[in-house]
Amino acid sequence: MSVLEGKELRIIGFLCNWCSYGGADTAGVGRFTQPTDLRIIKLPCTGRINPLFVVRAFLNGADGVLVSGCHPRDCHYTAGNFYARRRLEVLRSLLPVMGIEPARFEYTWVSASEGQRWRTVVQKFTEQIHGLGPIPAFKSGTCLEACLGTAI
Amino acid sequence: MGAARCIKKDALLTWLEEVGKSRLVLAPRAQGKSTAFLPFDPAKGISLSGLATSSPKQALIPRHEALLEFRYTKTDQVPAQTGLAVRELIPNQPTLVFGARPCDARGFTVLDRVYDAGAKRDVYYCARRDKTIVATVACTEPADTCFCNRVGGGPGDSAGSDILVTELDQLYVLEAVTQRGEAFLLEQKLPDATELADKAQAARAAVRAAMPEGDSLLGAPDKVGALFDEMPFWDGVAAKCLSCGACSYLCPTCYCFNITDESKGGQGVRVRTWDNCMSFQFTLEGSGHNPRATKSQRMRNRVGHKFCYYPTLHDGALSCVGCGRCIAHCPVSMDIRRIVSKALTYEKAAKEHSNV
Amino acid sequence: MGSQLEDLKTAIRQALPDLDVVIAWAAGPDGLAHTPLFITSESDVDLVQWDPRCSQNLAGYLPGLRGKKVGIVAKGCDARSITELLQEKLIDREQLTVFGLHCQGALDPEKIAAMADCGRYVRSAEINGGELKIVSSKGACAISLENGLLAKCFRCTGADAQPCDQFIGEHGAPPVLKDAPATTLDRLEAMSMEERFQFWEEQMGQCIRCYACRSACPLCVCQDHCAAQSREPHWVDQTDHPREKLMFQAMHALHTAGRCTECGECERACPVGLPIMTMKQALNRQIKALFDYEAGLDSEKTPPLFQFRENEEHIKERKW
Repeated sequence: MSVLEGKELRIIGFLCNWCSYGGADTAGVGRFTQPTDLRIIKLPCTGRINPLFVVRAFLNGADGVLVSGCHPRDCHYTAGNFYARRRLEVLRSLLPVMGIEPARFEYTWVSASEGQRWRTVVQKFTEQIHGLGPIPAFKSGTCLEACLGTAI
Repeated sequence: MGAARCIKKDALLTWLEEVGKSRLVLAPRAQGKSTAFLPFDPAKGISLSGLATSSPKQALIPRHEALLEFRYTKTDQVPAQTGLAVRELIPNQPTLVFGARPCDARGFTVLDRVYDAGAKRDVYYCARRDKTIVATVACTEPADTCFCNRVGGGPGDSAGSDILVTELDQLYVLEAVTQRGEAFLLEQKLPDATELADKAQAARAAVRAAMPEGDSLLGAPDKVGALFDEMPFWDGVAAKCLSCGACSYLCPTCYCFNITDESKGGQGVRVRTWDNCMSFQFTLEGSGHNPRATKSQRMRNRVGHKFCYYPTLHDGALSCVGCGRCIAHCPVSMDIRRIVSKALTYEKAAKEHSNV
Repeated sequence: MGSQLEDLKTAIRQALPDLDVVIAWAAGPDGLAHTPLFITSESDVDLVQWDPRCSQNLAGYLPGLRGKKVGIVAKGCDARSITELLQEKLIDREQLTVFGLHCQGALDPEKIAAMADCGRYVRSAEINGGELKIVSSKGACAISLENGLLAKCFRCTGADAQPCDQFIGEHGAPPVLKDAPATTLDRLEAMSMEERFQFWEEQMGQCIRCYACRSACPLCVCQDHCAAQSREPHWVDQTDHPREKLMFQAMHALHTAGRCTECGECERACPVGLPIMTMKQALNRQIKALFDYEAGLDSEKTPPLFQFRENEEHIKERKW
């Protein structure tokens, strides 16, 4: 666990049910060691991913977001990942305008058999996020803090 | 009229800074392209030219306020049992609102009738109101969207204020209107200005006299009420409305709110936020039914509330103070004056459609 | 311009018997801005105005009037919104009569009010030549129209309304304008990520959450059923925190990605003047770069996020 010398950061993974979630499982079954910063949310397909899931995750304090689905032409629903690719590429340009480092977000394709590839992705992405450190916080604190401080 | 004090214009910021040591001072300040009542910062100054974009109602009913804080707790003894700790958050901050305009201050009286209504007192509102001094600056130059004189107010009125501030050359004359204002003014180290009171009054009267007269809108309640079932009228006036909330949120008298619980994990707050009757969700019921599903119905409610329902409940006092913010900042330049004037002269029998 | 207005009135008068309503502009509450006008009877036609004060984009009313026979007066940029609505099949071409105009720029009343230091009581304002002459409580002053135009006019892509059924007046090129004001997007690009984040926190702190940006947006067709006002799913909470308001702006930008024609209604409608079109512009730049597509130019085209290609020419996927 070489990358995990510092504190864990909050990385959210949106994975499709049919390929990448299986790939992550394969990596687990194969006992490949991986960093543990990633928290996985399973979705039926990357086509289900609203780019706003990613934005919401960042605004809620995630330090990194990773999306992974089936390789192009392998989508369980034929074309979900093709739509996702377009949406996520567009999203990529929004993040820096909002002040979120674009490298905090990546998307990739991992099939159910690619346990080794999954490990590589997780390792590299986690290193990348650790390189960037925690996401900047709002000066006014969290919603809860702001609410409790507003009793003017 | 009670005590009067004066302050040189160039000493105003220093005085506000001094007051700021013992209470929160909210004064209009330009930020970006708008002006809002914000905590006074001597480095950033204040903006007393014209009417602020947002009204000072924010001082008494904030855009959002936490009513209470809650936290779910677990005990070691019975792990399956969840306890709930609740803490009430009553505001307790002495405040000075400086630089409200007479229409804004009149707006506070509209809020008072609702939130401080004898036996029905809203504790959060009253806690703020009791600790807030309102220092109103009399207008010198009404804008073309101003119509305070048509709804029972005036550019130098003192209703709702604790202190009335009048501009005289290089001076501001501060006159106490209420006992609270008097007590506050007497605490201040400012020179007496009792002899300037007449001059100040004359200045206010001159502004009032110069303000273009228009037909009074005070007689609206019956007429507006009579149009309740006249949907073609409302369809006509609401056609161009976008159904956004700019008018309600900038209005110094709109007081409707929403209450929601916002929580994260086992902790959260119950927040009261501004709500707006032009929004579809305002009357949306749990069943999915919406008694005001169209924007015409919502417009009827907005105009009806200000010019009919509210005055019927409160001795003819309108819940419109004529500040004109809703006119000046409406994305499609709706003009509530025209709507009410139209209502006053609308002949039901003619069934004419109305384009205002 | 007088005869153009008369021609417009004549055209509306002629078409009115076959239409349920015609949307145009009329004089507003003050001399600086006009207001939308819904014409249902012949007498309303006399109220019609056409000059640079006709800033609102009237296309936003169309989806709500679907099923009716509607006439609409459109500037070049307004027509792009109409095209986009047609592309998405949100309105029906055969129900629609477009009265197209050539536009030489639309005025920004806020900008004018800020520039014209001639009193708050505008008694009258009229456009004469290239100037707006204002008579106010403090006297008279004149503002050059060019200086008072909306920011979008400096990026005008077509001054003639297209599509249109009746073109009123002469066709022409977009106005030639110098000194385009720097966009917020340009300003942001000079900032670090952290500064940008702080910029938005500060801007969103001013937002009063009235949703005028959404209500004025011609492509925000959900309107009464906006995700921002839903409790389930809970996309944004009800607090006044800048985070939630920024989240809403991201929602607006992404929901209009590949559809936004940069008509600028969101910014124009904002009562506190926030630069909220910035995110939409950034997305449009990216869409232009990736898919070589601009919204609202061809009613036969499919918006880029409604389709895909197996091999995307301009998308470079990361190799891990």
